[in-house]
Amino acid sequence: MPSDSILIVGGGPAGLEAARGIAEIGYKAILVEKRDRLGGTPDEASYAALTPHFKNTDDVLGAMIGAITSNPLVEIRTGSTVKECSGAAGDFAVTLSKDGKEEVVSTGAIILATGFDHFDPGRETQMYGYYEHDDVITLVDAEKMLKQHRFVRPSNGAVPKRICFIQCVGSRDRQIGNEYCSKVCCGIASKQAIEIRQIVPDANVFIFYIDMRMYGYWENQLYWPAQEQYKVNYVKGIVTEVLKKGDKLVVRGEDTTMGRPMEIPMDLVILSVGMEPSTGTKALAKLLGVRQNKYGFIEAIGEPMDTVSTSVEGVFVAGAAAGPKDLEDSTSMAGAAAMKAIATVRRKSAITAKV
Amino acid sequence: MGITKPIVIEKETAVVDGVDISGAWNRMFEQRVIWDYDLRHMEKVTALEGGESLGWCYQCAKCIAVCPVDIVGDYGPRKIFRKLQTGMDLLESSDLWLCTTCMNCLRVCPKEVNMVEIMPAAREQAILDGKAIPDELQKAFDNISKYGNPQGESARKRADWVKDAGVPVNILPTTKKPVDVLWYVGSYPSYHGRGKDAAKAMARILAALGIDFGILAHEEKEDGDSVRLAGEKGLFEMLAEENIKVFNKYRFKKLVVTGPHEYNAFKHEYPKLGGEYDVLHYTQFLAGHLEQLKPLLRKRVSARVTFHDPCYLGRHNGEYVAPRNLLKAIPGIDVVEMFRCKENGYCCGGGGGGMWLDSFSRDFTSERLSERRVREAVEVGADILAVCCPYEVSRFEDAVKSTGHDGKLVVRDILELIDDSMRM
Repeated sequence: MPSDSILIVGGGPAGLEAARGIAEIGYKAILVEKRDRLGGTPDEASYAALTPHFKNTDDVLGAMIGAITSNPLVEIRTGSTVKECSGAAGDFAVTLSKDGKEEVVSTGAIILATGFDHFDPGRETQMYGYYEHDDVITLVDAEKMLKQHRFVRPSNGAVPKRICFIQCVGSRDRQIGNEYCSKVCCGIASKQAIEIRQIVPDANVFIFYIDMRMYGYWENQLYWPAQEQYKVNYVKGIVTEVLKKGDKLVVRGEDTTMGRPMEIPMDLVILSVGMEPSTGTKALAKLLGVRQNKYGFIEAIGEPMDTVSTSVEGVFVAGAAAGPKDLEDSTSMAGAAAMKAIATVRRKSAITAKV
Repeated sequence: MGITKPIVIEKETAVVDGVDISGAWNRMFEQRVIWDYDLRHMEKVTALEGGESLGWCYQCAKCIAVCPVDIVGDYGPRKIFRKLQTGMDLLESSDLWLCTTCMNCLRVCPKEVNMVEIMPAAREQAILDGKAIPDELQKAFDNISKYGNPQGESARKRADWVKDAGVPVNILPTTKKPVDVLWYVGSYPSYHGRGKDAAKAMARILAALGIDFGILAHEEKEDGDSVRLAGEKGLFEMLAEENIKVFNKYRFKKLVVTGPHEYNAFKHEYPKLGGEYDVLHYTQFLAGHLEQLKPLLRKRVSARVTFHDPCYLGRHNGEYVAPRNLLKAIPGIDVVEMFRCKENGYCCGGGGGGMWLDSFSRDFTSERLSERRVREAVEVGADILAVCCPYEVSRFEDAVKSTGHDGKLVVRDILELIDDSMRM
């Protein structure tokens, strides 16, 4: 029997927006989330303020979650994972597992919103020493401190006065295997640099970069204010290595526009880690037989005009499961995926009705 | 092909604090590694009123291609930004005095980093802090302050050139008559040998056109715009107040000036201090009388002429047409444009205090800006380099000699060319 409900995997921004859209149109959405709460990575990783508008993460996610919990057409299944899938577009049978108990649900279409993982800097080929030096942290670690409004050196709890970001950690790197740009890190580093200057006004903040990729409005929303109002120092030239020297970290690289080597002492080094496909994204792709690109992200087969269709009919992708995406990308894709998923179930049930 | 040797910094002799440390080991005398980003000096400059935009540079480097100083040296706005970020104290650096405020960098800057405001602000702070300023600039400040002109000449001699003008000139302090045009002559046309030639030509042209004009003679003082841009804001304000006081004594309809720097001062800076005038550069005034002027231009001036746009008439004030219209009205003249002209005109090096920094700049440039410009005029096959800024005649005539083009290229003010054409 064809089903007119749509199953969404992943309760982050893309999954929440897809569920909201489907329910608002009047179709039934089943939202599956492996964690016990909704919100996805921004919630799990304790994002403080969202890029680029500095809106409070909990407020933004709270509004999205509120919109679906109050809508009876959305069936929320937290703490659940997808175990098996059979059938075809219009009539999938998906086995869900919660607390060791399995249940089969039928659905006409599937939206994969399984997101990304932050790059693990233990894998980087440079020598930034994330696991050796307490004061080498990632954007994610910094975000947690910013959320608590307490910005300190992890090693001794002191307020750092010299802080630098190292861009492109885990991105644009053939040796690591991630040749792509992670798209959001330039903006997030700039956003955090502004927040750091707000919390520690006398701190000197540096961003070492290869290319600043502040596309669209991020240029005027983040890059220019960071430089012009918050006096963040952008230095072209990426850091090669981070060494410990006494109480300080020394970042070594080249200041390329000066054409001179640099060896600068820092109190805190923040690695701008990029995006990789999440374990959930890779597992679901395999389980559903959806084609992945060489990096493991789910491939959108109709690009550039169709950003959400996958190699399996009736299965769509939204958000960072399809590659590095910002929040606008993710929620816009969610809308497109919701529309195409509804179109699929309508078409399939119409065919069945004729037969 | 031979083997290219690496460039090493090595001094034959080196003395530090009186101790001779000459020797082969002093290779790499200059520090290579950046050990720190000491941001104190950057913070100091960007905290100055007018200095803020220096911190906005994102290193696109568009400025470098059009900076007249970088073409003959190693200097430019984006480099200043980086040097400050790496710890240079601009207030103690030679870089502080190399900018001519020509504004070509601002024309192309996507971030609107405004060196025309940054440099005067930083120079003013250096002067206030009692930092060393180049001797020749100090001398010009002293002369202007004491005598009202950079030459250090007596105020009483300011109108001496009138005697040789060949036409009557209304000296307002004597006649006190209301006039249509108050002609502010300026210090260089009043005192400099070649400047006086232009002044006399202007007097004859105004007389031939039947213009009711007068001059301020000994009551006129240096306008002060270049003084302001060189960092002596206090002296500028003093000069402006004194000139405004004098202007207020007389009745006139239009204020006509010989020089673009004066034009800039009276148009943009004096109004801030209460002096508002209907001011025109002489090229604009004469271009406005072109129909009356044309019948007077009877003698052919057979020459290939190229025109040098003054930064303060062109880029700063947007006037590119009037001087060219005047030149084209002179029979026989073939006007050719240089490689860099109009909005992209190359600076003569005289602006922003550069007029009084030639010996100083010499140590930081491979040639003078005026010499570079003369080469460009020669390149287009010009016989005459036409100018309309009183700073330029002397600058370019020196450059013609020093570049070995004496006898091949002649420097003339547009006023002189018009005056030539009026003589049968």
